Amino acid sequence: MRNMWLRMLAVLLAFTVIAAACGDDDDDGGETPASQPAADTGTSATDDAAMDDADDATMDDSDDAAMDDADDAAMDDADDVAMDDADDGAMDDAAAGPDLTGAELQLWGWASSEAEDIQLTALVDQFNADTGANARFEPQPEYDAALQAALVAGDPPDLFYVDSGRLPDLVASDALAPVPDGVISDPDDIYGALRDVFTIDGTWYCPPKDFSTLGLVYDPAAFEEAGIGVPTTWAELAAAAEALTTDDRIGLSFGAEYSRAGAFLFQAGTDILTADGTAVALDSDGGRTALQYLADLFASGHAASPQAIDTGWGGEAYASGAAAMTIEGNWIVGYLNNNFPDREWAVAELPTGPQGPGTFAFTVCYGVPASASDPDLSWAMVDYLTNAEGAAAWTSGFQVMPARASVRDSWVADNPKLQAFVAGAEYASRFQFPTGVGEIQGVFNDNFQRLIRGETTVDELIAEVVSAGEDLL
Amino acid sequence: MSPAIIGLCIFLGAPIIMSLLVSLRDWSGITAPFDSEFVGFDQYRQLITDDGVRRRDFALSIRNNFYYVAGVVPTQTAIALFLAVILNQRRLKGKGFFRTAYYFPTITSSIAVSLIFLFLFQTRGAVNAVLPFQDINWLANPNGVIHNILGVAGVDSAPGWMDDTEILSLPLWEWISGPSVAMLSIMILVTWTTTGILMLIFLAALQNISPSVQEAAEIDGATWWQRFRLITVPLLKPTITFVVTLGLIGTWQVFDQIFVISFGGPEKTTLTPAFLTYFQTFQNGEASLGAAVAVVLFVIIMAFTVLQRRLMRNRDWS
Repeated sequence: MRNMWLRMLAVLLAFTVIAAACGDDDDDGGETPASQPAADTGTSATDDAAMDDADDATMDDSDDAAMDDADDAAMDDADDVAMDDADDGAMDDAAAGPDLTGAELQLWGWASSEAEDIQLTALVDQFNADTGANARFEPQPEYDAALQAALVAGDPPDLFYVDSGRLPDLVASDALAPVPDGVISDPDDIYGALRDVFTIDGTWYCPPKDFSTLGLVYDPAAFEEAGIGVPTTWAELAAAAEALTTDDRIGLSFGAEYSRAGAFLFQAGTDILTADGTAVALDSDGGRTALQYLADLFASGHAASPQAIDTGWGGEAYASGAAAMTIEGNWIVGYLNNNFPDREWAVAELPTGPQGPGTFAFTVCYGVPASASDPDLSWAMVDYLTNAEGAAAWTSGFQVMPARASVRDSWVADNPKLQAFVAGAEYASRFQFPTGVGEIQGVFNDNFQRLIRGETTVDELIAEVVSAGEDLL
Repeated sequence: MSPAIIGLCIFLGAPIIMSLLVSLRDWSGITAPFDSEFVGFDQYRQLITDDGVRRRDFALSIRNNFYYVAGVVPTQTAIALFLAVILNQRRLKGKGFFRTAYYFPTITSSIAVSLIFLFLFQTRGAVNAVLPFQDINWLANPNGVIHNILGVAGVDSAPGWMDDTEILSLPLWEWISGPSVAMLSIMILVTWTTTGILMLIFLAALQNISPSVQEAAEIDGATWWQRFRLITVPLLKPTITFVVTLGLIGTWQVFDQIFVISFGGPEKTTLTPAFLTYFQTFQNGEASLGAAVAVVLFVIIMAFTVLQRRLMRNRDWS
């Protein structure tokens, strides 16, 4: 009997060791920063009808530039100290805000990587030291479900991450407070394209924490060997992919999904949906041009999805040497530096299409719930984390980029190889669908994957998306 | 009421009734559930009667899960019974080791097991290294197994009438696709993990069968197969019924493995009702639709279980 138990224990230990070893392996792939969207995640935004009831919470229905307007009639806290500074549109010193001494503040987010957790916790500690507040960063496992449960229960955290894709759902449910005038230092310093991402029907909801864009990651040595320059147009991209393709390497590999292929739609002046999210825009000359270009590119055999060359994502395809170019965002930098320090790389802006440049902005903001117990304190902390100093502190030593133009030069000086990602800030588009329309992205992805395998045509793909749009919009 | 019944009401009864009520509303999953608009059976209409993407997705999830159940339940039951009979032999050495080994996958976290299988099923992974055919990208392959077999037989596209006949927005040709290769991989994984616990149940039942019955048959000259078929299986009938019921309920609710391995893809061929509920509730701001899917899933599981118990009760086992 005793022997049997010993045997069982030995077997148990052996399996535990194996399981632990496998678990660790996976962590290597998990070094992606917060703003990388999960593959195939349904994302959504609000439609006009759903916005009607949000109007009463709106302070200002003019465009994003109007944030320094001192008209605070709709503000509950007009007597707040911070409001005195609102006239000049900027609040240079967070210390001028409300008294934070002893304030208990909960910041919810998701755990992206250990390094990010440490960095944010350090920033929150600094905030506590500067203001006397008692704030905590609490990363949540299964974030969306945890946040939804807290909101339904009426007891949300004082501030929390809002992914740009989830913003419309939260806004449609009146769960988010709009940014009151004057609480965010120098809002015009934040890139307009990024403020737009968090602006729905003219109401600005939250300042971005940081952002990432897509760029063309390429192997400089392979380019030199092939005797070609960095592609700047679609034609050059196709030519480069051809020149770089060898027997055991594909020229270009990127995820066959909207979160990558969408950039080509923007470069052709279109998107799946129109800007207001009420109709399908893909059924246009631009849509046809972009999809046909991609279909031809993949059919030529010079481009392939990462799965087709037995890798999990574009970063892995590039790192393993199976691809000479990929289209990925800032998160690839940490992945390459940590896991493949010997693999050379460089980043260029995505090639321009017939309608100019285009890329995605993947970004997350700090939102304050509409039912916040003390919104002044929440906004003071949001400002601390996102003002010029906060943005600089948060993004230093990281591959995510500060959302403020004033921090741009110092960040680029620290990360000279990543200049191309920053350049995308000027023309990046949002990764967002109206609420309840997430399925349309799935329809696009499924058909796009069939398109690049030659199992469907551009017109059939567009017809499927249009038909899904009719069902959902 | 005893505390146990109160606990049961709060943690089981209330959520079930809440889901039912929520599925009749238009709830985003973010605000308080009963502030939302009452829409009657609108959510169910989107799933069952209104032609469109949502009905198609729902039909896909039912199809995928049906093939999954049809594959996993008989396989895991048969293997578990087989293993239990072998491990019940008195003369076998190292029983303790084998029982532990077979039971182990069951008590390992499904997430950890899924991650291991994720590596095994890569194109250059262990599975392809062992199998004679190369370069199957198991987890990214959306082709249906029955379609593949038909393809080998020369039928590689749908006959016209099969493409034109649609049931729940899904062409008949798609309904008969069989599980996709990706789904098949997940089915293999799940069979491997759940067989252990079922084996344990069978083993317990086998040990309740008096050895004298087997010995009597042996003296009468019954072969091993005859004893298995005519004595063991009939005496295990209640246990088999129980194991199949457990299997049906568990397999219709598959979620973890899909969440980790495929997230519903490739091309929605591993989408299941449970995953659809998750997607609609936590990714798409349509919690009421998610609840409606859950309610329909509940009805399906009920129907299958009742049907199964009825069939097994009336069947002559010897």
